[in-house]
Amino acid sequence: MERIFEFLFKYPPLFFEQGDFTFGAPMSVRLWLIIAGLLGAATVASYTIARGKSTVTDRGVMAGLRVLLLAVIIVCLLQPSLILSTVVPQQNFVGILIDDSQSMLLADENGELRNSFINEEFASGESELLQQLSDRFALRFFRFSDVAGRVDNPSELAYEGTHTNLSRALDVAREELSGVPLSGLVMITDGADNDNQPLAESLVPLQAAGIPVFTVGLGEESITPDIELGRIEMPRAVLEGSSLTVDVVITQTGFEGGTVPLIVEDELQIIAEETVELGPDGEPVVARIYFELEGVGPRRVSFRIPPQPEERVNRNNARSVQVEVRGEREKVLYFEGEPRFEVKFMRRAVEEDENIQLVVLQRTAESKFLRLDVDDGSELEFGFPTSREEMYRYRALILGSVEASFFTHDQLQMIADFVSERGGGLLLLGGHGAFAEGGWQGTPVEEVMPVVLSSPADDPQGFFAEVEVIPTPAGLTHPAVLLGVEQDQVRERWDSLPSVTTVNPISQVRPGATALLSGSGEQLALEQIVLAFQRYGRGKSIALTIQDSWLWQMHADVPLEDQSHETFWKQMIRWLVDGVPEAVEAVTDREQVEPGENVQLVTNVGDSSYIEVNNATVTARITSPTGTVEELPVSWTVQRDGEYSVEFRPLEQGEYEVEVTAERNGETLGSDKTYLYTAPSDDEYFSASRRTQTLRRIADETGGQFYTPEDVSSLPEDIRVTGAGVTLIEELDLWDMPFLFFLLLMLMGAEWGFRRIRGLI
Amino acid sequence: MSRSLLHLALLALALFTMLNTGCAPDSVEEATYLTPPGAEFMSQQAPPRVSRPSFVDSRGPRMDPNEIPGRYPFYWTRAIYSGWGRRGWGQSWATDYPKGDQQFLVVLKRLVRLNAYDWDNAIRLDDPTLRRFPIIYAVEVGGMDMTNPEVEGLRNYLDAGGFLIVDDFWGQREWDVFEYNIRRVYPDHPIVDITLDHPIYSAYYDIDEVKQVPAIGRAMYPAECYGCVPYVKGIYDEAGRLVVIINFNTDLGDAWEWAEDPRYPLEYSTYAYEMGANMIVYAMSH
Repeated sequence: MERIFEFLFKYPPLFFEQGDFTFGAPMSVRLWLIIAGLLGAATVASYTIARGKSTVTDRGVMAGLRVLLLAVIIVCLLQPSLILSTVVPQQNFVGILIDDSQSMLLADENGELRNSFINEEFASGESELLQQLSDRFALRFFRFSDVAGRVDNPSELAYEGTHTNLSRALDVAREELSGVPLSGLVMITDGADNDNQPLAESLVPLQAAGIPVFTVGLGEESITPDIELGRIEMPRAVLEGSSLTVDVVITQTGFEGGTVPLIVEDELQIIAEETVELGPDGEPVVARIYFELEGVGPRRVSFRIPPQPEERVNRNNARSVQVEVRGEREKVLYFEGEPRFEVKFMRRAVEEDENIQLVVLQRTAESKFLRLDVDDGSELEFGFPTSREEMYRYRALILGSVEASFFTHDQLQMIADFVSERGGGLLLLGGHGAFAEGGWQGTPVEEVMPVVLSSPADDPQGFFAEVEVIPTPAGLTHPAVLLGVEQDQVRERWDSLPSVTTVNPISQVRPGATALLSGSGEQLALEQIVLAFQRYGRGKSIALTIQDSWLWQMHADVPLEDQSHETFWKQMIRWLVDGVPEAVEAVTDREQVEPGENVQLVTNVGDSSYIEVNNATVTARITSPTGTVEELPVSWTVQRDGEYSVEFRPLEQGEYEVEVTAERNGETLGSDKTYLYTAPSDDEYFSASRRTQTLRRIADETGGQFYTPEDVSSLPEDIRVTGAGVTLIEELDLWDMPFLFFLLLMLMGAEWGFRRIRGLI
Repeated sequence: MSRSLLHLALLALALFTMLNTGCAPDSVEEATYLTPPGAEFMSQQAPPRVSRPSFVDSRGPRMDPNEIPGRYPFYWTRAIYSGWGRRGWGQSWATDYPKGDQQFLVVLKRLVRLNAYDWDNAIRLDDPTLRRFPIIYAVEVGGMDMTNPEVEGLRNYLDAGGFLIVDDFWGQREWDVFEYNIRRVYPDHPIVDITLDHPIYSAYYDIDEVKQVPAIGRAMYPAECYGCVPYVKGIYDEAGRLVVIINFNTDLGDAWEWAEDPRYPLEYSTYAYEMGANMIVYAMSH
């Protein structure tokens, strides 16, 4: 298209975009217009007064065509031209930025590598393109991947970069060439940036300096056929023995409608496998896979899809995730307002779980409590905690059938803060003293609840209903309600469990909350919300509105060997404590880096009441894979209360252990451990297709142009007219454009044709 | 504090019962259900209905068929088993029934914050509904002669998480009968002494002595057999959980039943109620 344009209009479109249009005729344009008007009038008059076979319409058409012909001739006589600001040859510089990352070694459909364009046009030193560029400009070459720098000759490129950072490349080139007249930058790349640095920050200075960037896109826009593992949603720390539900995003082209196995490995041992049905080409599917991790400590969990027949890129079929399996006993406080069998059966369900310490405080009479599984005689000595320090020792709180009036207002506020500020998990069980029936409306805790409380029933006997429980669509994929069976059997398993009962009619969840289990029954007018949850502040709250889940263990319809009740409660309590923060928490900005890359360690420090501390002494003890220990002070960031950070650079390959300790006035506030894995990255093989949109954006926003190897030949001439650097004004004639000649011929031909048709010749 | 409360409750019960001459009959056939004794003392929930029909079949009364199990967190449930009693075949389970059960509930609800069904409840061991009541009470097991379905029903019940309280049997002969029957349920589980350091003695009241609780007519001569010594024994499941508690050479049920009688020594009724509260609180939490 561009070639046709250039043939008709003599110059490429870019010239017309860049140049100013003018007329070069010696007389004024106004005089020419008067002459044109007179000639036109004379023409029309001659046709008007002519006599013969022609009708008025015929004469009108012919006069019009003749006037147009005259107009074209007048335009040519006006000597139209383009005024262009063109660079002065050999007085300007052009920076040529060449992608030096691994993705340049990917082959296209014909087996040709992406870097072959670079080798032919730049590394060989003999190409016409390079010659034309060299004739016009002084060339400076840069290589870039995750870093960027000058290179004397493109033949030195090794294509070993494991990341691509376009922003950094533009910044480095602009800064290096800031002292010379620069006509533009040429960026030769596939555009597959995987450092995710905002481009705008690099484009604004280029726009301000008037430096156009000409981008040359290499590679294909779609690699077909190919399967790629995308994002993996997995927590960075889990409790030992917890069932994990991990979402894996899989994208593909060329395998539409097929199935592939997704394999999960822990230290080279397969721990889960799932068959994934692929969707339409280009549309990602989310595969959900379940597994457990045994053994305490840091782990590399690998997800992979075996290479498929004829697949173009295999190295994007696998990803690894660093996860810490924690062996601590998570302390959960279960406060029950009266003797109930829920206590007995919940304790039975989790008694073998070494990672859960279910501390029970059961009110057996007014001001009389039974304490179970406490650490010592002083724990909960005076009943329910009265201070934040006492309560925040627990990672989760379960409230049974206990009326709101039992608590002081401070304690109610403390329960709400336990969730929102401390980030703890709160589970509310059904019962005569729970929800609306327990007078919880209007309390600070009501806000935390994931369900909407209705008014208590007027019936003096109270509401009572049997409930058949079924999972909601959201529940079918939630680990807490899977009951340890495959996903397609979850519904069936719930159907096999006996009905339970409720005394709290609840039929609505709060906006933002999710219902996982619902129930129906003869005594229920509306569908009962059985299990619902929501995030609240830093923590989460869960409502289980039934009062006798123990029937799932004890009922005669449940086989003795059935583990549904045990599994349900284990998963519920593990979910409750999952992700609950510590007072001191350390995390690195990335879980895997390459040796030599900088890592940001961020630590949040709070005291025992989880109030942020800004005057702590925080130390990071970093142990390398070979056992070298380095201690670094971690400083308060000032921007956020309680946030400390430090940057370090791991040089060895393997697993780094980072232990952070926070002290204040000689008193230890807490410590935390996190892990970091250093290894060469395969990022270059993920999302490696050409990013045309990104490259077009860079060109458009800086006044440059986007090219492919097929149309890059006009690049030297295009740079010449960009106007950057040392320039001179050049006037380009347009009167001899072939388009005008063709137009004249067309108009003359049209009049002749018209006469023939009308029989006027 | 709590012990004073117990004494107060017992005295109140005694006074109330003396002023109201009618006592529930001791036999199943004569059972008439009126307002439960001591209902006025119940403060923790709405008063029960004024009258209640009798439900009697060949094996004994049942819960009101209109009542759906589960409305209350707790039902004091008596085990119906096959065996010989003083009143003939099939009646040994019903000793002190239902007066003892009803009176025990009245006092228990005054002492423990327990949201319990107000009426007695008796279930056969081979009835699947048994599994809805995780604590059952069996008395006079010295006359026990369980059928195979009852043995299986009890075994499944205990394996599923149920708790059995055994009471009121005396002497070696009755022990042998009970042991034979319970061995059919759990052939390999040893019957062990529950010593005073066990948490069941401190689950609600602190009990530091196992007392021999006599029947109403034997207050002066507690033992029903010569030289009998009271024991509290138990059976644990494979996971080390206490699933059966055996009150041997003692009769807690009579103390619960006759606590209001001025002839019955307060010492024994106090102990029986303390032990009863402890067993309930323990079994509902362990």
